[in-house]
Amino acid sequence: MEVLLLKKERLNGFIEKLQQDFEVIAPLKGDVIRFLPLKNPDDIFLGKNAYFPIKEYFFKKNEVLFQFNGTKIIVPELPSKKRAFFGLRRCDLNAIKHQDMVFMNDIHDPYYTAARKDSYLIGYHCNTAPSPYCFCGSLELADYFDLMVYDKKDDFLVEIGSSKGKGMAKKYASLFSKTSKKISEEEKKIPGSDRLEKKDISLFYNNSDWKKGTDLCLSCGACTALCPTCYCFETHDEVKTSNINEGERKRNWSSCQLQEFTRVAGEHVYRKDREERFKHRIFHQLEYFKEKHKVPLCVGCGRCIEGCPTRIDFVDILNNMKVENG
Amino acid sequence: MDNPYVPRPYKVLSSARETADTFTMTVGMAVLHSPGQFVQVSVPGYGEAPISICSDSRKEIKLNIRQVGAVTNALAGLKKGETVLLRGPYGKGYPMKKLNGKDIVIVGGGCGVAPLKGLIDYVENHRKDFGQVSMFLGYRSPDDIIFKKELAGWKKKYSINVTVDKKGNTKSCIDAREGFVTDALGETDIRADKSAAMICGPPIMMKGSIGILKSKGFRDKQIFVSTERLMYCAMGVCCHCMIRGKFTCLDGPVFRYDEIMDIENG
Ligand code: SF4
Ligand code: SF4
Repeated sequence: MEVLLLKKERLNGFIEKLQQDFEVIAPLKGDVIRFLPLKNPDDIFLGKNAYFPIKEYFFKKNEVLFQFNGTKIIVPELPSKKRAFFGLRRCDLNAIKHQDMVFMNDIHDPYYTAARKDSYLIGYHCNTAPSPYCFCGSLELADYFDLMVYDKKDDFLVEIGSSKGKGMAKKYASLFSKTSKKISEEEKKIPGSDRLEKKDISLFYNNSDWKKGTDLCLSCGACTALCPTCYCFETHDEVKTSNINEGERKRNWSSCQLQEFTRVAGEHVYRKDREERFKHRIFHQLEYFKEKHKVPLCVGCGRCIEGCPTRIDFVDILNNMKVENG
Repeated sequence: MDNPYVPRPYKVLSSARETADTFTMTVGMAVLHSPGQFVQVSVPGYGEAPISICSDSRKEIKLNIRQVGAVTNALAGLKKGETVLLRGPYGKGYPMKKLNGKDIVIVGGGCGVAPLKGLIDYVENHRKDFGQVSMFLGYRSPDDIIFKKELAGWKKKYSINVTVDKKGNTKSCIDAREGFVTDALGETDIRADKSAAMICGPPIMMKGSIGILKSKGFRDKQIFVSTERLMYCAMGVCCHCMIRGKFTCLDGPVFRYDEIMDIENG
């Protein structure tokens, strides 16, 4: 794909140009690193991957599906906003790809689609794994960006990945210079990011080692909230205290790690043990999604491990699993 | 494009009580559907609940609803002529066309009889396509028997076994024996070779019935289970209804038993 050169001292100029045309969202460092609306280009933090998942911009934590008044239903306007996301890692971009498959292909979700439509995705390639928990290299990630910025010693190389990216390259052409350099597949491999050794976990469904992880699980749901690909949700109605016929139906993230996730009438819970729920999450990430969509859901970002209060590392657990007889 | 989360208004044609905590609502929704499919019923302010269609008609749908939560209790208050919000139908029902020529064994427990009623209606409407029909229906008590009126009609045409956990002292015109539906199933001579069995009910009852059918020579592929799961979207996205990699709302709620196996922990 076409590659351009961006001089390092021109990065801020590029961001400022973007700010004239878009709301720019970039990783900022507060208590944790999180993608937030950017004011000053100097605030962009590229030292480590973000702690919070990018999904909060498209598959929102809280979404009003519609308002109701009695049986009358009003769907809110869904304006789409021109936004440029800067500093997305390869894992973040693939997480967006997988959620696109769910919300724009499996179904046509108007809320997700509106938020996603006028979003421009500009990646920042990891030269080495920024966190000890990363394992994106063990998974089947793809190129999925409008522009991708590669941090080379003297300059940035910017790869164009889509027609949206091409449009940006054209619009801001004065900032870029031509180059004969190409980005090879080898260069896209990230050193230190392939620690998941097991490729096919279907053999381990009945393994007794799933217990190892779950004895430490507090059922807090941090793993699923921080995961950029987890897309489970629930809906509920909220009414106005002044008029109980009026209100909103809302959609919220939910977590398969909680018993509430499957509770039906008569207080029956499926996957009652933490072990079953933990295993279900990992199987959904690595197996079940793949059965239907041909790629694993997990992008190997390690957030569910880094953000776990007891640091349950499913990659370690899987790596140590042995095939048991019977 | 249509917003898939938004239910549409339909008219309540009638609502009639079945037992102390169940009622059957007829809704003016004219829609093609297969037995075993379900709709998402909304009551604004309370939420949504999946309810299986318990009829087989192109003009209307019947919903047998048990009052177990906020939504179903609110639905009980809806009267003839009022509006109910629905979306659907969803899911994969019984593969009726593939079962042509087969004897049909129906095993239902409690409100699990409701989805099976749609199947029974279908068989009635296509009677010559099927062989013998035997039913095994279990309830907690005579007071919990749903579709009493229809049951009287089925008795004349099919082999029927009704059990109640406890008879109590209420008089009932239904002739039911005390015990579990699995007992009745175990004692009966049913031939596996040209049969298909349909089971719906509480997890323990389904498990027990599957065991008995298998001991009688039924293969997993001859057994169909209708599953109940918590669900929100009914479109294979919210993930609450997953059984291993399968979605109850898309791949089910009716599964051929060999497709899921681990109903409890999968
Ligand atoms: S499961 Fe964990 S490692 Fe995989 S994408 Fe989600 S947070 Fe990242
Ligand atoms: S998972 Fe891969 S792409 Fe994501 S931060 Fe780690 S090394 Fe970078």
